[in-house]
This record gives sequence, structure tokens and C-alpha cells, in this order.
Amino acid sequence: MRYSFSEWTKSGAPWVWLNAGAVAISLIMVVGLLSLIAVRGLGHFWPADIYQADYTQNDNTTRLVGERVQTELISAEQLRDSGVTVPEGVFEMPRTLIKIGNRDHGGTDFIWVLDDHLSNQTQPEMLFAAERREWGNFYGYLRGLKENGELVAQHDGYEVTPEYMALWDQFQQRIDRALTIYDQIKAIEKGDIGAINYELERLRLRERAMELKGITDPARMQEITDRRQALDADYQQLQTELLELYNAFNRDTVVAEIASGKVVEFRIASVVRAFLPNKMHLGNKLVHYAAKLWEFVSDEPREANTEGGIFPAIFGTVLMVIIMSVIVTPFGVIAAVYLREYAKQGFVTRIIRIAVNNLAGVPSIVYGVFGLGFFVYFLGGHIDDAFFAEAKPAPTFGTPGLMWASITLALLTLPVVIVATEEGLTRIPRAIREGSLALGATKFETLMKVVIPMASPAIMTGVILAIARAAGEVAPLMLVGVVKLAPSLPLDTNYPFLHLDQKFMHLGFHIYDVGFQSPNVEAARPLVYATALLLVAVIALLNLSAIAIRNHLREKYKALEM
Amino acid sequence: MKVSTMTGEAKTHAIDIASMQRDQRTLNLADETMALEVKDLRLSYGTKEALHGIDMLIPKHRVTAFIGPSGCGKSTLLRCFNRMNDLVDGCNITGQILLEGDNIYDRNVDIADLRRRVGMVFQKPNPFPKSIYENVAYGLRIQGINKKRVLDETVEWALRSSALWDEVKDRLHESALGMSGGQQQRLVIARTIAVKPEVLLLDEPASALDPISTLKIEELIHELKKDFTIVIVTHNMQQAARVSDYTAFMYMGDLIEFGDTDSLFTNPNKKQTEDYITGRYG
Repeated sequence: MRYSFSEWTKSGAPWVWLNAGAVAISLIMVVGLLSLIAVRGLGHFWPADIYQADYTQNDNTTRLVGERVQTELISAEQLRDSGVTVPEGVFEMPRTLIKIGNRDHGGTDFIWVLDDHLSNQTQPEMLFAAERREWGNFYGYLRGLKENGELVAQHDGYEVTPEYMALWDQFQQRIDRALTIYDQIKAIEKGDIGAINYELERLRLRERAMELKGITDPARMQEITDRRQALDADYQQLQTELLELYNAFNRDTVVAEIASGKVVEFRIASVVRAFLPNKMHLGNKLVHYAAKLWEFVSDEPREANTEGGIFPAIFGTVLMVIIMSVIVTPFGVIAAVYLREYAKQGFVTRIIRIAVNNLAGVPSIVYGVFGLGFFVYFLGGHIDDAFFAEAKPAPTFGTPGLMWASITLALLTLPVVIVATEEGLTRIPRAIREGSLALGATKFETLMKVVIPMASPAIMTGVILAIARAAGEVAPLMLVGVVKLAPSLPLDTNYPFLHLDQKFMHLGFHIYDVGFQSPNVEAARPLVYATALLLVAVIALLNLSAIAIRNHLREKYKALEM
Repeated sequence: MKVSTMTGEAKTHAIDIASMQRDQRTLNLADETMALEVKDLRLSYGTKEALHGIDMLIPKHRVTAFIGPSGCGKSTLLRCFNRMNDLVDGCNITGQILLEGDNIYDRNVDIADLRRRVGMVFQKPNPFPKSIYENVAYGLRIQGINKKRVLDETVEWALRSSALWDEVKDRLHESALGMSGGQQQRLVIARTIAVKPEVLLLDEPASALDPISTLKIEELIHELKKDFTIVIVTHNMQQAARVSDYTAFMYMGDLIEFGDTDSLFTNPNKKQTEDYITGRYG
């Protein structure tokens, strides 16, 4: 049966196709975006094979050792321009980015090489990779181990022999030993000494406060001095302990041959983990992968954020969003209740409503500027004058920090909560309110006991939207509290536990920082994807929990269908 | 016995005014004590007057029905008794309503307290999204009564009085929203009488219900008039005839005729009343 075009149009089929097409394209884009960042980001943690190859350039042959990162085609013209001889009739040549590591010896950890210049590619099983806390990855051949400068074991040749494996095992044991000591050092430095420093600072502030107030109570002064002496003694003791630990920590070094054939030495203390990727089978690789992934979400960043984990950023993001929600929800709900329930509906309320809606459209960086100017400098400055005068000239709240970031974002998301709450309040049937009023409840009691609980799913919808917006916001945060690297988490065991004045790390800013401010762009790029994936996951998780709460509330108050 | 008669009536939908069940003694307005006195009550929405000077008396412990065509002002008048119209923007009221001799439109009247004394049940059941127990206890909690024993007793009494206890006693703490429409309306009545009001205003309480539930509500009205003065607005003349002792016929914002239900239905004084009850308009 044949249809004419106009019949086909009239039937509505093209309309349905158009609709379905729009949905399909949206879906493809979302899935494509997620898979791109997932593949790029998650692939980074897989232990890549290490290649060894001869690299010939200008009749000069050197040995290269490294991981292949990516391959691309480059036009011959471009190559000729840079002085490379390219045979006639060739228009494009493949080139490969190789991660050669050993930044302490070559100065750079990545190089581009033309595939044509590579020969004798092999994957020797004895090649090892070591992740270090400084100078990036190390690739080379294990040659020996030293203890206090004395060689305790060594190996020559390029074959994996049982002796080599014994040496390797010893290497691993020494790494484990160093890691144990490292944990102890960290515990003392961050935990015990951190607490002492924190208390010393508080003592200093107390002393200064008394000084400012003109209190010269010798008893209290003495108390402070005594406490300080006690702390100093503790500190000295910890310092001695630390010194011993550091000596033990730096005891071992590893001797290895690098690609150029040079034999080098570096401290085992700097090694986070070492592995033989070419010798690993799938199981080992999976274990390694899981460990790396766990490190990524649970550890602190290393080496200018290009290595290690991003836990402080996850923590900062989540904490900031939670504080933001705690501030914006009551504020928005109260404002909406006034606008909808108490204010006389008319010209003024209409203007206010329009203004609130427009506030949602103000670019977020403007909120950042406002937050910096008003909250940080004005409010924070005055708070410092009034309550933290003893700490001056160092600002306490008069500097960007967690609280100001949360408040700025609360302001940014306030319109969403107000609008959603108003909508929810409007939808509560009049009959329910009248039912409550007819029982002798006042308007306030009716609001508190019936109307607001019934509007709570709508309020949660507002909060969900607010969370979604706030968690992904970066621009204003750069002005009001986010930093590249925060020395400590804003939540710890030192009184008052939640440090609202501290600066914090944020996933969104971390992406920007790692991707664009990093000294080592090639090394950081996969982390950008991984962090982006994590940011999406964190926002999704925050939203899902809010949605779960909303669904629970909806179930409870599903009376609206009357 | 009464129940079966009423059920029969509902099934056949017969209009048989003579066989209506009511107190078998003669009612005379002059013999009654009054719960409410309405004096020259005028109500206007903006510039439009909806009630043009109503004067009437609502006798105590009797059922008074307001009948009349849609828009005649009967619901508006009812809502004046507990000042529900105060919530309407642009609503202006003059005149007096005396509850036990005191004008409820006096400036120093506590509206919440007034509404406790004059309870109201609406057209559609409007239980709160809370448990059955909490619905009934709501008014008490508002008054600051939180003693479990008092609440338990009152909830049971209210639910028994509204003939709901046997149906819900095993699920008091389940959501009231899971009940049927008829049960919900009786729950709302229970909720209203739980605060022991003096007057019970029923605004077409059965209009959203099925016939069986309607009968249960009517039966309940019979029971409740022992303790409460009841004013009911209804569209349904048989219902007015069945449940009320006195009936007021309103038309276009005026009270046309007011008298004991028997006389009003069998022997109306005014032509308009007769036209309405015989179905000529409305």
C-alpha cells in the first residue's frame, strides 16, 4: 500500500520519528560521554606492558624503555618541516607517545617517536616499573639492593632467572618495610604532631586574646606556659622518634639500569609500589588494577596532583554540598512559605518572584565575586574583628574557606529551592488546610503539622536540583574557598572537628587544575577523565540519596491525588 | 429497625416524605433553646453581596438542614458559623452570629478557640496524611493534650461515636489514606467530634459518597444530635427530610423559609419553597 507524503505527514508518523530521534540522540550523547570518560579514565589504572626498543634517529641508535600511551598519524609535510627525512610518496606516518618515565634522569617522562624509527621491539620480562613519590615512574632493570650504602644483593643479565626473582622478592619486602615505616611517620606527623601544633596554636591565640583584653591573671598565664612546656616536651620526644624512623626509612636503596645503560640508584623509601608488568598474568593485573583504583579514591594526591588519589577532593565536594544543603533548605523553605502563605499576593510578590527566578539565571562566577566581596571580605573581616582578633593579622574567616563556599553556593541554589517549595505549597489541597483550621489549629500549626510535611517531597525536589547544580559548580568556588592542595581535611579529630574556616579541595576544581595547570600534562590527562568520571559518580550518588528520601516522603504523603 | 427502613429507601430512591423517620414528637421552634442566633448577616465578596441580611435561629441539639439550589449561599452561611470565610480574600461580613449569646464576629474572639467549639466537616473527605489514630488525635494535640491515656480514650470514644471503631480498631496506626471514602468521611467526623465541639457543621458531608456510605453518615447524624447541635448543608432533599428536625430553604442569598422539617416539606408557606421541593427548579 502506498501513502502520499502528505498522508504520511498527517498520520503523525514523522512527528513520532522526530520525537523518538531526539530522545535517541540525547541518550547516545549521554552514554557516549560517560563511556568516553569511563574508558579514558579507568584505562589509566591498568598496568601497561613495558616495551624495549631501539630508536634510531639521525644514524644514532639508543635504547628506549617505556609504556605506549597512544598512536596517531602525522602528516609528512609537518615532519619534513621539522627536519625529519620522509620517503617520497608517503603522506602520513604513525607516531607513538611513549611514557619513558625516569624524569630524574631524562628530564621528561613522555616522548613522541616515529614508529619507523623503532626497531627490535621486545617486552623483556625482567623490566620493572616503580611508582615513586618523587620524579614520577621509574622503568628499568633491577640490578641490586643496598642497605646503608652496602650492596646486599645483585643480579646481572637480561633474563629472568630464579636468582633474579629472589632479588625481586627481597626488593618487594624492603618496599613493604618502607611503606610500614612511612605509615608510622605519617601517623606521627599528621596525627600526633598535628594535634600538638594545633593545640600550641590555640594556646598562642588564648594568650594573645588575654593580652588584647588586658587580662594579666598570673595563674592563667602560668597554666598556659605549663601546658606549652608539656606540649614542647611531647614534641621533642616525637621528634626523636621521628628521626629514628626517618633513618630506618632511608636505609635501603635500589640499584637499577635505565634505558641508556646507565646504572642508577634511588631510595626505596620513595617507592610506592614496584611491579613487573610484562611478567604479570591477568589475575595479577586485576589485583593491581583494583589496588590502583582504590588508591585513586581513597588516597591523597602526590606529585602536584598528577599521581595518587583524590580522596580530599571527594571529601571536600561531598562535605561542601552537605553543608550547602543544610543551609539552603531551611532558608529556601522559610522564604517560600512567607511568599506563598503569608505575603499578600499582588504586585510586590510578583516582582519578588520574578527577581527570585532571575537570580537563578545569574552566571555563577558573579556569585563567586559577590561571595568574595561580601561574605569573605566584609562579613568574614567583621567576624574576625569581633571574634578572632587574637589571630590577626592572620585571617580566620576573612579568607576564602569551606563556610563561605557553602554559603555562596547556597545563595546560588536558593532560587531553585524557593521555586520548588512554592510549587509544592500551591499543590496542597485547600480542603486539607481547611480541615486543619476547622479543628482549631492556627495557620502556623497547620503549616507545621500538615502543609509543610505534605510539601516535603516538593522541597526535596528543590534540594535535589540544588545539589545537582552545586556539586558541579567550580567557577565561584575558585574565588571563595577551593584550593589546589589542602594540607588537611576540613573534618578531623581536633576540636571543633569541623573546620569551616579551612580551605578545601573540590573535584570540579581538581579537574581544571590537573588538566590545565599541571606541570606534567601528559601524565595528568588520564586523571582528568578519571576525576571527571568520579565527579559524575559523586553527583549521581548525592542525587540518588536525595531521590530516595523524596520517594520515601512521597509514599508517606501521597494524599495529593484527592 | 431504623437502619433497614433507611436502606430500603435508598435502594428505591423513593421520595416519600410522609414516611420519613424522625423524632415522633411535634417540634416547635419556640420551645427550643438556641445554639446559634444569626442577626442581619450580610456577606459580600468584593462588591458582590452573597448573603443579604440573614436572620435565623439554630436550635440546640437538633439537626438543622440548609437546602436550596446551587449558589444560593447555604454553604457560605454555614462557613460563617466558624468564620471559615475569613480565609477568603475580599470577603466582608456585617451583622452578628451569637454562639451561646456571644457574637463570634467580636473583635476579641479567638478564632482557633471558636473553631474548636464549632467543628466542621467538608464535602470531600480530607483526612491528613497521617495514621488513623493521629488524625483523630490531631485536634487534641493542637490543644496541647499529649497524654497517651487521654488521647487513647478520646480517640476510641470518637471512633466509637462515629461508628468506625469496629472497622479500624486493628489498624489504628495505619495511614488514613488507605480507607474507603465513606470511612474517611466518618474518620473526619470522628476527628471533629474528638475536640468535643458544641456545634457540628456538615457541608454536604455525603455528596462525594456512595449510597451505603451515605446511609451510614445519616445514621451517624441521628446518633450525634444527642450530644451536638448539627447544621447540615445538603443538595439532597430526601436527605434533609430524613435527617433534620428543622430545615431552612435559601434562595439567591436570602433565607426564604425556616421551620420544622415536617411542616416545611408537607406544607410550605412560600411559593418558592414549594416550587423547589416539588422539583420545579433547582
